Amino acid sequence: MVELIYRPEYASYDFGRDHPFSPIRLEMVLDLLHDLGVHVEPTACPKAEREDILSVHSPEYVACVEALGRGESVEDAERYGLGTPDNPIFPGMADAAAWLVGGTLGAARRAAEGEPRNVLHLGGGLHHAQWSNASGFCLFNDLAVAIRALTESGLYVSYLDIDVHHGDGVQALFYEDDHVQTISFHESGQYLFPGTGGIHELGQGMGRGLKINVPLEPFTEEESYLDAFDRVVPRALGHFKPGLLVVQAGADAHYEDPLADLMLTTRTYEALYRRIIKLAREHAGGRILWTLGGGYSLLASPRVWTLLVLTLMEQPLPESLPAVWVERWSERLRKSLPGTLHDANPAFDPIPRREEISRRNKTVVRRLLDSLSRYWL
Amino acid sequence: MLIQDIMQRDLVTVNVDVRLADAYKIMQDNGIRHLPVMSGGELVGIVTDRDLRLATSALTSTPFPPDCDVEGVMNQPVQTADPLDPVETAARTMRESKFGCLPVLDNGKLAGIVTGIDLLDALIRLTGVDKPSGRLDIRLQDHPGELARLTHFISERHVNIHSILTYREGGEDLRAVLRIGSMETRPLAQALSEHGFKILWPPAKPWSN
Repeated sequence: MVELIYRPEYASYDFGRDHPFSPIRLEMVLDLLHDLGVHVEPTACPKAEREDILSVHSPEYVACVEALGRGESVEDAERYGLGTPDNPIFPGMADAAAWLVGGTLGAARRAAEGEPRNVLHLGGGLHHAQWSNASGFCLFNDLAVAIRALTESGLYVSYLDIDVHHGDGVQALFYEDDHVQTISFHESGQYLFPGTGGIHELGQGMGRGLKINVPLEPFTEEESYLDAFDRVVPRALGHFKPGLLVVQAGADAHYEDPLADLMLTTRTYEALYRRIIKLAREHAGGRILWTLGGGYSLLASPRVWTLLVLTLMEQPLPESLPAVWVERWSERLRKSLPGTLHDANPAFDPIPRREEISRRNKTVVRRLLDSLSRYWL
Repeated sequence: MLIQDIMQRDLVTVNVDVRLADAYKIMQDNGIRHLPVMSGGELVGIVTDRDLRLATSALTSTPFPPDCDVEGVMNQPVQTADPLDPVETAARTMRESKFGCLPVLDNGKLAGIVTGIDLLDALIRLTGVDKPSGRLDIRLQDHPGELARLTHFISERHVNIHSILTYREGGEDLRAVLRIGSMETRPLAQALSEHGFKILWPPAKPWSN
């Protein structure tokens, strides 16, 4: 079973009307669950304390976000990655971000205690935020705050990032930490933001061999993605044997995503979720903290995340979506929304370079495993 | 980027009268392949591990004995670089003369050394990712003002450019690879494309809406 974490304040994390990281995405998920007749009773977690946020961010940076959120002007805010097109300033931004951090932190504590289970935070996943700056729509790194709290309680934590962008903030904050394993699957940084996440980034010092990156070719499809996943994740988790698994479940590797170039479908996501649940049962004591993350197609992300909720709730997946929901949101977004939970099959025309793409992914995974083999003895 | 920005300053050198066997051990112990040879505080030659192995090889007709001085084996005169030379000049000299390294002389005194590995490091620095950024790959016409038109377009959207690399592709066009501080390279590429720029990455996705 699963416990859901959510509170209405999450909608205040809003960079403005035309910004891709829109609270509408979550509104659509909750609306869809309601129209599907799925009863959810999410837990509301308190806002994160300043001290929690300071466990992974510099005091100057936190003070800057707070000041900007109060409407004060800060000289050279761009030094902190703020006031840019990606991370615009908005009133109450520090509070909005602290609500999300509080949710992931509360979810982490709930996932760690009591019976083994899944806890899904319907928010958060701000994996790009760094020690002293905002990056890629992420103000405070909720994942890192939660992981820090978990390791301080003595747990070993594996972090699995299936967002299409490299989980650079989380990786950097734990690069030398031997209590944290990070595994990120993403479109190669040679092509996509943030540019990092190469196979040679393996961690440093005590953390060496515990930072794992699988950079994939643009236009990678399901078969090649799952092949890479199956070659890396079971061995990595089997080697580290964490007490808890944290999953950043960004939905932007979907082929409809407007900011990236991987070609996953809703079916790939279902397969991924089922694999992750099984692997956590085998290697992480069945404890998983899930967060959302990137995912900027309003046609795809709400369906992908609804699929996540239903899969975790062990509910049957409906074939078609409620007509009222499709009509209401098609009208509101002025876009024609698909009427089914899953994408059409096949979802798109054949990709011309498919074999070359798969071959390159295989090679990259083999090279990664070669470098990891010395740490996995 | 200048030689003084990439050269190694911690130097291991030997005197002209050092024995071949000792010079070889010094290279092994320090994990290096090039030894500047000094006499009276002046650079007089350079000797590489390859020079030593070839000179002493049993496969040559008259191998040098291991207790010979390096003076008999070292290369001289030595091609050198100046700390203020641009790195590309050093690269060209090394490439054309097939040298693996260049000692750097400052006012006649040995100040550092540049090897092929240092040039690879320079390449990584020139092309690398030191800030979170996305990639734009653009084919520009070789006209005055084209690059300015591109950077102006990006600056009007208040997006920071972290690096620009340009090179000629063979024809008349110029290839420009930009790293920009934004997740939203796709919308930017689309806008650029609508303004007549030839975008090579990221390409348009026909199935997206």
